Amino acid sequence: MSRHVDRWVTSSVAITAAIFVAAAIIGFALLPWGQPGHRFTGLWDAICSAAGLVRASPASEPVVQPGYQMTSVVVTPQMLSGASAESIGRGATLALRCTMCHGARGMSLANTPNLAGQDPIAIYKQLADFQTGARKNAIMAPVAVGLSDSDMRDLAAYYAYLPRVAAEASGPAGAPPQIVANGAPVRSVAPCGACHGTLDSKAGAGWLSGQPVVYLRAQLDAFASGARHNDIGEQMRNVARGLTHEEIGVAAEYYAKLQ
Amino acid sequence: MSNSRRMILAHFWLAFAGFGAALLLGAWQMFIRSPLSSWIGDPELYYRSVTAHGTTMAYVLPTLVAMGFGYFVAETALQRPLIGLRWAWLGFALAAVGTVTAVVPIALGRASVLYTFYPPMIGSAFYYIGVVLVVVGSWIWVALMSVNLYSWKRDNPGRPVPFAMFATVAGSYLWGWTAVGAALELLFQIIPVALGWRSTIDAGLARVFFSWTLHAIVYFWLMPTYIAYYTILPRAIGGRLYSDWMGRLAFILFLVVAMPIGAHHLFEDPQVGSGFKFVHSTFTALVSLPTLLTVFTICASVEIAARLRGGKGLLGWLGALPWDNPVMLGTAFSFIMLGFGGAGGLINMSYQLDATVHNTQWITGHFHLIFGGAIVIMYFVIAYDVWPHLTGRALASFGLMRLQLWTWFIGMIVVTFPWHYVGLLGMPRRMAYYDYNDPMLAGQAAPVIMSVIGGAILLVSGALFLIVLARGQRAPRIEPGTYRFSVAAHPPQRLPAALNGFGLWLALMVALTIVNYGFPIVHLMATPGTEVPAVLIGAG
Amino acid sequence: MTDSLSPGHPPAPDDGADRVEQVEHRWAIYATALLVLLVVMAIFAGLHQATLPQSRVETVDPRTLHLAGEFIDSNLGSAVEPDGSITVRAVGRQYSFTPECILVPADTPITFRMTSGDVVHGFLITGTAINLMLVPGYVASLPARFQTLGERYMPCHEFCGVGHEGMWGRIKVIDKAAFTQMAATTKRLSCVK
Repeated sequence: MSRHVDRWVTSSVAITAAIFVAAAIIGFALLPWGQPGHRFTGLWDAICSAAGLVRASPASEPVVQPGYQMTSVVVTPQMLSGASAESIGRGATLALRCTMCHGARGMSLANTPNLAGQDPIAIYKQLADFQTGARKNAIMAPVAVGLSDSDMRDLAAYYAYLPRVAAEASGPAGAPPQIVANGAPVRSVAPCGACHGTLDSKAGAGWLSGQPVVYLRAQLDAFASGARHNDIGEQMRNVARGLTHEEIGVAAEYYAKLQ
Repeated sequence: MSNSRRMILAHFWLAFAGFGAALLLGAWQMFIRSPLSSWIGDPELYYRSVTAHGTTMAYVLPTLVAMGFGYFVAETALQRPLIGLRWAWLGFALAAVGTVTAVVPIALGRASVLYTFYPPMIGSAFYYIGVVLVVVGSWIWVALMSVNLYSWKRDNPGRPVPFAMFATVAGSYLWGWTAVGAALELLFQIIPVALGWRSTIDAGLARVFFSWTLHAIVYFWLMPTYIAYYTILPRAIGGRLYSDWMGRLAFILFLVVAMPIGAHHLFEDPQVGSGFKFVHSTFTALVSLPTLLTVFTICASVEIAARLRGGKGLLGWLGALPWDNPVMLGTAFSFIMLGFGGAGGLINMSYQLDATVHNTQWITGHFHLIFGGAIVIMYFVIAYDVWPHLTGRALASFGLMRLQLWTWFIGMIVVTFPWHYVGLLGMPRRMAYYDYNDPMLAGQAAPVIMSVIGGAILLVSGALFLIVLARGQRAPRIEPGTYRFSVAAHPPQRLPAALNGFGLWLALMVALTIVNYGFPIVHLMATPGTEVPAVLIGAG
Repeated sequence: MTDSLSPGHPPAPDDGADRVEQVEHRWAIYATALLVLLVVMAIFAGLHQATLPQSRVETVDPRTLHLAGEFIDSNLGSAVEPDGSITVRAVGRQYSFTPECILVPADTPITFRMTSGDVVHGFLITGTAINLMLVPGYVASLPARFQTLGERYMPCHEFCGVGHEGMWGRIKVIDKAAFTQMAATTKRLSCVK
């Protein structure tokens, strides 16, 4: 009986080990090393790469730099969460100089964006981009230059804390137009709400509802032409380039009316 | 057996109630993303439905069926009352509470991450906790299967373990071990982020942990189906099981090789080395072996029954089979779908061919055919076969059962065959709508519509199934007699320990896990800088 | 024969069981041979058609892709290497690929180098076997070669969030001479308008 058991143990272990060893030799050595056009420095390099050991990037041409200032902000979803009451208070003081254009409670009477209740990451990033020149605006640039990093965080915390109220121009927006609700899939335009809050929020994207229609249209046009280029990875430029002129108008008008 | 009966019935009813709801969602999903519907105004609803459908069909239905059927086998094959009935009820309660805990956040739109949960997208912590509870409930079942088996072995030294119990315990061990991968991902990576304790997660490592579970789970799903092939079908049609020991070997092969092959789900991933991908694909080829063995053994067993009924000729004996018997009909349908689905699986397992179909609708078509088709149709057959023994009442007419099985088979073919085709055309997975007006995509419209029609047929079939079972709860009482499993043509008098126990096979399974998964996991954990920010979804 | 198989009779003497064992053994050998053949075919295709999973694991930080390094916006697109091959660099983010339209020449060795800026994305060029997962934190790379001219779609094929259905890029394969001409004046090419 014990000889019988031994036979099962030895043969099953032997077969399993043999299959593993054969597969390992083929997978770790034969296939990578035998592949035409491989760039391994030796068999051991091929084996280590096949095992998944992390390798440095291959040498390549120097990185092509852009002809304009790029955004230098690193955006993560958690970056501004948990603002303290002191921060909000400091932001309120700093915001006194913003009321001329952006309204006493963050709701503007001009065609400047409403800031009340906005995503703090969006506010922080745009301030930082105005400061470095990644986003160009003759009025915002000198305003932003004087701000420290903690100032910008405080301002972002303050405006995020303000309640969102319906803009003056808002009214029943009706059903969203197709370009807003569904985007244009094969033109690589996702629904606006997928990032801008109505379906889900992407960090730094911000709310669009109730923004002035003139402002929204101008920003989309600027993204489409490349005049505005502070969007990380050209995300908004990809979207805006896929929209027709009419669609930009329709989307801007919808969001301007939306509460 | 009466208390066990209620417990087993509870498992089946939870499984099939979930199945019915998820089936409805599935048919709706099919419709809403087809050319027959305008684009859904809120795509989040579609992804919510896909999450609910996948979670229920993948984690609730098959787990509860395996548990219920396992308890049934433990009592009837071992011919003694179940040990640990109170623990079994606890396991059920955990699974039920877990299901509710998971489904509520899904319904509220807080967990639209899909049943594969791929981080760094993270949903509500309650969703993941719910899934963990279902798994823990099933681990109680794993322990009870073991306890019952070893108690029987102590009382019956040297006797061959009844085949049905041997296979059931093999399946339970496979599940116990394979669930560890997703459990590690959930407990140590995802839930800490979902609860706000951490804000970054290694997405590549999470995918490796999930792949540990992702393939072998489908073998856990097929265990009840294969057990029915071996232990119900031959008896139901008046035949014998051709080879008892080959059947045991098939389940042993599943136990050893089903789990350490998950990297074939990571063929196109950048965080695992090509050497490991090849080793996993070799062992994946090996796991096709027990299915090939099963097909042969079962066909031989069926031929025995046919010839006993007077069947003659090289293939003429097929006509002598009892086709009016739902077990025969269902199994034949299952085998046809297993053939096509298995061939698709062989394609997926080879890297070169998989690169043409990975994450296209081919993949979705494939697993609906093999799981929703070949496997689930046998869940129906099992339910029909054991129901009178659980309820003590007669089941509805064979005619209604046959109609239900026919509609499931036809519906599944009509759903999945065009589905494979649009995958070959390059239709990507998991999109809430598609632009069928675009000339490059227009060719996908007609096949997708065919799949919608198939989905409607499946809805009818699912409803029929639930009707048959519900009627069976109120039918006149009968005396169902002792439940019998199939008998082997040459029943073994004594078996080598290797075919009667699991020590050797568990050791091999663990050893293979270590060599196939050990280095990739440890290496990724030790590599700095692979954690990325978590993206909380459903917060907007 | 019928007697020994019907229930209630003692099983036949072991020669029947031996015959079963023989038959099952033979089938097991055929089945194993089939599987070995499939694996050998995979090895053959891997070596002779150079279709293998990517050969190296590289890590990268998705948070800082846009600040410095090979995946900054101005460095994305198709670059001509000194040996005449092309390196295409692209990044997938919710919910578009950058560059949104990739331009490549036909009949030239190409290496795709791609990653994700946020969540797991998929990358598929329809009608081809170019199929990748873009996992944030890791660089996905794949060699390719296009024979036919024309335009194809590059959809994201893994669920990446609520806008996943809108993530379709495009790739254009143009004549090699035309591409070389364009490459003389521009270092990073794409067909984004």
